[in-house]
Amino acid sequence: MRVLPKNYEKKVSENSTMSKKKLSKSRFDGVKPIGKPLFLLAPGVLWLLIFGLAPLLFMLMMSFWTSSIFGTKPDFSFDNFSRVFFTELYRDQLIKTLRIAFMTTMLTLIISYPVAFLLSRLQGLRKAFFVLLIFLPFWTSYVIRAFVWLPILGRNGAINNFLQSLGVIDAPLDWLLFNEGSVFLGLVYVYTLFMTLPIYLSLEKIDGALVEAATDLGAKPFSVFYRIILPLSWPGVLSGCIMVFLLTVGAFVTPQLLGGPSGIMYGNVIASQFLANNNWAFGSALSISLILIVMILLAISSRWIGVQHVFTGGKET
Amino acid sequence: MYSRGVRKLNVMANNFKTIKYGRQYNLALWVYAAMFYFFLYGPLLMLVFLSFNKSEIVGFPFEGFSIKWYHVVFESPELIRALANSIGVGVLSAVIATTLALSLSMAFRHDFWGKSLVLYLILVPIIIPGIIGGIVLLIFFGFSEIRPSLWTTVLVAHVNWVLPFAFLTLYPRLHGFDRALEEAAMDLGAKPWVIFSRIVFPLIRPGIIATALFSFSLSFDEFVRTIFVTGFQRTIPVQFWGLIVDELAPQLPAMAVIIILISILTSLIGFIYMRRKVN
Repeated sequence: MRVLPKNYEKKVSENSTMSKKKLSKSRFDGVKPIGKPLFLLAPGVLWLLIFGLAPLLFMLMMSFWTSSIFGTKPDFSFDNFSRVFFTELYRDQLIKTLRIAFMTTMLTLIISYPVAFLLSRLQGLRKAFFVLLIFLPFWTSYVIRAFVWLPILGRNGAINNFLQSLGVIDAPLDWLLFNEGSVFLGLVYVYTLFMTLPIYLSLEKIDGALVEAATDLGAKPFSVFYRIILPLSWPGVLSGCIMVFLLTVGAFVTPQLLGGPSGIMYGNVIASQFLANNNWAFGSALSISLILIVMILLAISSRWIGVQHVFTGGKET
Repeated sequence: MYSRGVRKLNVMANNFKTIKYGRQYNLALWVYAAMFYFFLYGPLLMLVFLSFNKSEIVGFPFEGFSIKWYHVVFESPELIRALANSIGVGVLSAVIATTLALSLSMAFRHDFWGKSLVLYLILVPIIIPGIIGGIVLLIFFGFSEIRPSLWTTVLVAHVNWVLPFAFLTLYPRLHGFDRALEEAAMDLGAKPWVIFSRIVFPLIRPGIIATALFSFSLSFDEFVRTIFVTGFQRTIPVQFWGLIVDELAPQLPAMAVIIILISILTSLIGFIYMRRKVN
């Protein structure tokens, strides 16, 4: 017989609360929560149907209409869509946007993973402090976080001023801003948290016992990392990638402010149909195409992770 | 219940920490993290610094300390009005979104047909790109002949945007608390309304306050949807955008600092409420 461990009592009490929890969970299924689901659902669902779904369906319908100088008229034509996918200008723009979104996703992943890993290894107040420190900047407007790069990269920006005062350059550099590179920088800056956070949460969830077992069996720290921690953080990596991709593929503010003519993305092309060209039907077709791409992406990734889990950090609902 | 979870987390964290990587790797990780935090905070701190720059242009060189741009911001009736508009819409959309989210979360404690469909419906506004979220409303209201204005189109755009987040923040709160009290009250014959107002609501009140504060902050910073449905009454991010695009106005850094302070403060208070123990 084994001698009872010192913290035996504590363990027993933990076990009993565990079973109590199980008990109350089974009772949860028995006693109905208060309220009638139909009444409770009605206000929210009505709102979402009227202001969420109906406008979307209306836009889907409009993507088959035709726009002219006399306005947008009902029609049933695929001209808009053939223009979206077969005109070189728009097809290239789409490919470029997908490429930028993909690159930004990879960049944020590479940048975020080590930080998330470090955070998951911290403890107590220190951890709370550093996690909070990551949150703070993301509680501020993304317009401001994109704008802030203008006085850094611009002609009168921090970098030019610094280099000039050192005497490295005589005249301010113009190529720092308004190109694809500055868009990458802006996008990474604006959206990193959406990668760091899910990875951090998935690392947090890893059962320490697994790591301990592997170490006890003689696994080296790095093989523990590659064979246990990395695979188990995969859901977080995936949901971070999906979120960052979703956000960047529809980006408008960052490319508009930092992109210049060569750095514009699909969001800017779509916006110009409504703000400048007044071609609502074609703009709708562009928007629907972007939504389709997003849906395809989500459908593919649903093999590994459900859409609802992407946004709930893997919590059951 | 909550504290047990925390204890479990700590145990896990301890085990996690038992893997020892070499000191040089830990050092490298910290250096890396320091660079990361510098990347996050450097630009924002620079913005604070620039807001005190006397210069007429946004940028460098620093020509001397001055708080005149803060005066410009607070003495501009346009900006004050935009600020008031943003706070008004923020409060109202936070109230609407939190109420709807609370009701939806209460419903989600039941089992009902089409639950996952409703969940998808709730998630739609965050799945579709923000710019399209603005455009669909532009088209929809355009054809319904509803003029764009602050209290109609902008409010709808903001509630659409905020509602999924309000639901995702509030639902775990309602799902997670100990139902023993609620069940006891039910056994003793309390009416549903009494159970809600005396037991459920007080238990989840911190969660509700946190949700409302986060919602306000999200609405306060909303731009890409608002720009397509805004009327003459602009919100503060729309006003800010206008100042960037038109002329890169010198008061922009000061304005940014004020906006940042408002949204960070509300989120921070929300965060504190969020962490409050339910028991």
